[in-house]
Amino acid sequence: MIKRLFIFMILALMAVIFFNLASNYTENTSLSKLGHYYVEKGPLEIGAPNLVTAVVVTYRGLDTLGEVTVLFISAAGVGLLLRRSRRKQDIDSQDRDNRAEESKNSHKPASEIVETATELLLPMIILFGIYVFMNGHLSPGGGFQGGAIIASGTMFLLLALPESHISRLMIAITESLSGFSYVVVGVLGVIMAGGFLDNRFMDLGTYGELFSAGAIPLIYTFVGLKVGFELSAVLDRFRQYDQNEDTDSV
Amino acid sequence: MVVTNTIIDVLLQPLGIYVLALGAGFLIPLFYRVRRGSGVLVFFAALAAMAVIAGLNLLAIINGAPAIDIETAGIKPPFSINLRFGLLEGGFVLAVNTVALLGAWHYLPRLKQQAASLLLYLILVMGINGMVMTRDLFNLFIFIEITSIATYALIGMGRSDNVLAAGFKYVMATSIASAFFLLGTIFLYYQTGTLNIDDIIMNRDLIEGPIGLIATLFLLTSLLVELKPYPANGWGLDVYETADSGIASLISVGVSAGVFFALYKLLPLMDNYLTSIALIGGLTFLISNLIGLKQENTKRLLGYSSIGQMGLLTLAVALLKQTDADAHLPLIVGGLFVNHLFAKAGLFWLAGIVNRKCIGEWSSGVKRSEVLLLGVLITALVGLPPFPGFWAKWELVMLLAGNELFGWIALILIGSLLEAAYLFRWFSYARQQDSEQPDDAPAEASFSFMQIMPVTIAALLLFITGYGMAKTMHVASPEVFLPLVAGFAMWLIDRSHGRLKNLPMLAAVAVGGYLLTNDLEGINRLFSYLLVGGGILVSIAAMYRNDNRRGFYPLLTVLLLSLATLLRAQTSLEFFFSWELMTLSSYLLVTLGRNGVKPALTYLLFSLASAYFILAGFSVAYGATGSLLLADLGNSGDSVAIIFSLLAAGFIIKMGGFGVHIWLPGAYAESDDDFTAILSAVVSKAGIFGLFIIAAHLGVRSDIGLDPGYVLGWIGILTATFGALMAVFQEDIKRLVAYSSMGQLGYIVTGMALMSHLGWVSAMYITVNHFLFKGILFLSIAGVILRTNERLMYKMGGLIKNMPFTFTFVMIAIIAMSGVPPLSGYGGKWMLFNALMEKQWYWITAFAFFSSAVAFLYMFRLLQTVFLGQRKLEHAEIREAPMILLLPQMVMIVGIMVISAYPKLLIDPLSAAIDPWIANTLVWQGTALHAHFGHWNAPMIMAVVAGVFMIPLILLSLFALSMKIQKVEQFNIVYAAERPRRPEETHFAYKFFAHYDRAIGFTVRPRATAFWNSVVEWSHSAGASLRIFYNGNGQTYALFVIMYFVGLFLFNGGLAL
Amino acid sequence: MNMLTDFPISLIVLCSGLCLILLGLWGMLTQRNLIRIIIGFSLMDTGIHMVMVSIGYVTGGTAPIINDAVAMNEAVNRVVDPVPSALVLTAIVIGLGVTAVMLSFAVRIHKTRKTLMIDKLTESKW
Repeated sequence: MIKRLFIFMILALMAVIFFNLASNYTENTSLSKLGHYYVEKGPLEIGAPNLVTAVVVTYRGLDTLGEVTVLFISAAGVGLLLRRSRRKQDIDSQDRDNRAEESKNSHKPASEIVETATELLLPMIILFGIYVFMNGHLSPGGGFQGGAIIASGTMFLLLALPESHISRLMIAITESLSGFSYVVVGVLGVIMAGGFLDNRFMDLGTYGELFSAGAIPLIYTFVGLKVGFELSAVLDRFRQYDQNEDTDSV
Repeated sequence: MVVTNTIIDVLLQPLGIYVLALGAGFLIPLFYRVRRGSGVLVFFAALAAMAVIAGLNLLAIINGAPAIDIETAGIKPPFSINLRFGLLEGGFVLAVNTVALLGAWHYLPRLKQQAASLLLYLILVMGINGMVMTRDLFNLFIFIEITSIATYALIGMGRSDNVLAAGFKYVMATSIASAFFLLGTIFLYYQTGTLNIDDIIMNRDLIEGPIGLIATLFLLTSLLVELKPYPANGWGLDVYETADSGIASLISVGVSAGVFFALYKLLPLMDNYLTSIALIGGLTFLISNLIGLKQENTKRLLGYSSIGQMGLLTLAVALLKQTDADAHLPLIVGGLFVNHLFAKAGLFWLAGIVNRKCIGEWSSGVKRSEVLLLGVLITALVGLPPFPGFWAKWELVMLLAGNELFGWIALILIGSLLEAAYLFRWFSYARQQDSEQPDDAPAEASFSFMQIMPVTIAALLLFITGYGMAKTMHVASPEVFLPLVAGFAMWLIDRSHGRLKNLPMLAAVAVGGYLLTNDLEGINRLFSYLLVGGGILVSIAAMYRNDNRRGFYPLLTVLLLSLATLLRAQTSLEFFFSWELMTLSSYLLVTLGRNGVKPALTYLLFSLASAYFILAGFSVAYGATGSLLLADLGNSGDSVAIIFSLLAAGFIIKMGGFGVHIWLPGAYAESDDDFTAILSAVVSKAGIFGLFIIAAHLGVRSDIGLDPGYVLGWIGILTATFGALMAVFQEDIKRLVAYSSMGQLGYIVTGMALMSHLGWVSAMYITVNHFLFKGILFLSIAGVILRTNERLMYKMGGLIKNMPFTFTFVMIAIIAMSGVPPLSGYGGKWMLFNALMEKQWYWITAFAFFSSAVAFLYMFRLLQTVFLGQRKLEHAEIREAPMILLLPQMVMIVGIMVISAYPKLLIDPLSAAIDPWIANTLVWQGTALHAHFGHWNAPMIMAVVAGVFMIPLILLSLFALSMKIQKVEQFNIVYAAERPRRPEETHFAYKFFAHYDRAIGFTVRPRATAFWNSVVEWSHSAGASLRIFYNGNGQTYALFVIMYFVGLFLFNGGLAL
Repeated sequence: MNMLTDFPISLIVLCSGLCLILLGLWGMLTQRNLIRIIIGFSLMDTGIHMVMVSIGYVTGGTAPIINDAVAMNEAVNRVVDPVPSALVLTAIVIGLGVTAVMLSFAVRIHKTRKTLMIDKLTESKW
């Protein structure tokens, strides 16, 4: 109880500090130095109407590459933490059928409504995801958002059909290749344009069209695929570990 | 072709580090799926390339190329993210990548089991690189997060039971820290409108008011917490304890390095909080080392040490900033960092290989090579020469002294001593089993070779960087490093037989010693005869041992040659370097003794304390004069007295002065018997030399006042008195002579303290005399112990029949020591008493008389119980000591005879050498030395005494032939009203002076030992009470993180808002 | 109406964000269950994202997409700052990554130790 009181006091002090922040805050009436530059120069320099995308992909492209890396290592980390015992990995392929079997026993199937809706909606969800990352430079959205939408489709699938199998190999190939391609595109920027992750080594095209803004749609496609598959892999990991729990004693 | 070249160009730039790491990271899962080996290959290729790129670019910058600024997206900063690769960045990145490569080697058996762990490791390293190189605040946040997440996952891969819980606590604490960083970043952006660090620093005027304060403190708290300050570091300790050694090492050296560099980058924003930062760093350093004393778990111990080292680095960088000493950053921060990096990583790997939970368990089954590496790494970590930490600490201390920040110096030195205490305690455990430990079995050898290779390389890199730093500081002359080089050469032939190694060792010391000392003059030259020449003489005796003596000869070479470099030191740095080298090599030599490990630890700790006093003294001198030259010590103005006191304290500890002597009997008694002779006869003279240096440069100055000298005189005479008293009550022959040695050094200190010509001549004369008789005594004892296998005197007796030469030598040595005419001891005492009386130090004189009288008691006992009386039955067959032991003794007997008969031969050069400091007051009339209270004619006395002795001796021999002699059997002793309780009590030599014990025994109760034990106990219990915060609960740890922020806020004026 | 102009919209978001941070911290510090602690972390993270977004708001601004709706020449005066929006996107992804790793820790801890209570996980200390 004393501990709680102490925590409360410390957080009350934090609240005082936060109050100081809020009471001294005045809403901006004009753009910051950086914001001003991006809004003024961005559309012409980068060729992307969506300035957030211009900032994310080009001006702060290194951040975004890092962000992709964060997601990549989170997925790898989750995979590492939730791996099955080593013995089972060695006989991965034979094991797969067994696990599919087990999962049938351990999970109640979803209702028919959900199953049917999944079949109906899943293609549309994925299509929407692709739309969002392809149009990231034109409208709100982008690689991460699109990828998240695709992963939500996977989530849907896993809820509706718990025994459905997601190919690890396909995930591995896609996320590896799209990640690697992203890096290659970055290097192309150094060689053929102004610097690492410069999108302008490709033609900027006509402002406002789908295939414009240099390499941004290309990059966002890689990012979208990578994010979509990685998040799907994370979801799959949690599901599988859950299933293993009853049978596997690590 | 052109395109390939361009790509290679791109990759060879620092940017290539990211491109390669990410490219390889993304592809590793694919390669791994195809073939596990190819994945591992890609992993190593990328890591190696990262190190190579860093190395090439750093080399270019060192050769004068400008710092590399990498802009991205073809847009100028601050509108895009840029990276910088300058000298400091390059150094950090290269060091981290090198250690990461070695760490991957160590960690490979675990890493290669999963593609994920390979890529996580690779990207973790890249994240650290990014933290160092990026110049964008938000980008820095991303690299911190990349590093953190990769760390979390690799921690979770660990095998030990509690690693998951520890990992979760780690995630909790660091995620709160990251949240603070994000908040700080966004509010700084709110105020400055930019994210580029350089741009923010340029516009730091815009950071103001409560928002500016809070935002800056958010950033500061976050980075400090990631560096694991006390007490908000329980989560870090838990991870160090439980995680695999491969990842624990990378967190300790790599991740911390990245965060530390981030803090350094943002420091220009923290001008107002430098004191807070320094305080936090300093307290963390001190407290974690204090708590470390109580730690038994190997890896947690390393954790405490790690945290302490980061605290020291934080302290250093804040103070450097505060004193505008940016120019010293590469040397101090770089040196401390590289030292911590390789030493700590190596220790973590070693802990992983040896795999013992507690440091106590290192006492069995640890291989010789592992113990050796442990020793090297610990030595480096503690900051002993020749490693980078030594040079960096020296620079830091001198810089602080230049700014008169003496409190910080004290803190750093105390913390370093505590750290040395627990690290060498660990080393002691590992050393204890050395005797029964076999060399690596050939079958395992190749496997264990691969295992310890990374550790070995880390150790080598420490040597190389240490030498590099010495070069930068212009002390890397061949002379300074000669002891180490010669020692290394001896180590190469260390596997050959012991006797074979003796001659090369003597040759090396003789040649090296000659090269080092032949251009010395004055008193230094006289000391060189004593230390180098004397050292060689006594070392000849080492051949009497028939065994291999692994390690003995290399270390002895280092020890003797470091004494030579000590004599030729011009600057306090060279002096201190040689001093530490001497301390270290003599410590290791003591550990070679049969039960030497434990007393050696005490010896080392007192020696280090002594060294730190000396360092403190030199630092004050540097602060006062701005010069490192020993010759400038005297120009220190008002600080003369304090410098003198600090340095004198250091030398007194090293000589085993009264109250700080408790290391001495153990170290002397438990060393190898011949090495005890070197310790007592030769090494102890180094302290006298030091004392002479300060007496000459500081003590004779008029403005120092009499007080320090008078105090020193008392310390000397108390040492002499109590040394003698304690010698009286010893049963162990070596301990007896050890205490005697302590007492004799006391006279020398008193002589030095007199600051008069006669006083100094007497001190130096006694010094030479002490060398001669102690050399003889300890070598004789070595012979006796060799033959009898006993050290307790009551178990010997009547050895005069078996060892007549040894008996004669001991007798002569004892006469020379006791101060009765005609031998040299008399002259020394005569001069000392005269000098004392001249100075009118009557009480001290009285004590000197008293202690001389007491000395007779133990000397008599030594001769009586060992060589006279009845012989034990089992000793009937023993032979005289081997010739090689007797030979050096004979030379020294000749020496005693010469200086006894013709003291002028010695006194004249001494007097001439002292003359530049204190004008000569000696008056000679023929062979007689005249003083205020009388005169001393040595040849005359010699002749008279010889006559007085010879006549009765001849008469006695004649009578003895005609007399009937009754032989008394052993144990034929009639006791009067005393009932023996134990068998040894029936022997007259047991508790020989028990009757005196009743009278004066109270003076020799081990009060000093009790005092120092209570110091140890106190620090342990302080450590125990300081660690109560580490209750193991992740929420408590998270609370501490928040409290750090609140505390910093309140401390830095938050209340005023 | 008057109230609203005195109390700008971004300040409301900012204050809500700060409150959410405090709430999240309270959860992390007082809830013993690991899953609840992770929820606390998520709350705190979301709070920070709200704070970030609020910082980027410019009075009366609209989304920084320069097309038919906002002409290029007057965009500077009409849109909100794109930088915090870009940053928050990154921050969200990072928060997601940390949450995923924390959850997998919780899952593993539950499996090996059969408990989710943080005060049962205090073996390593001192």
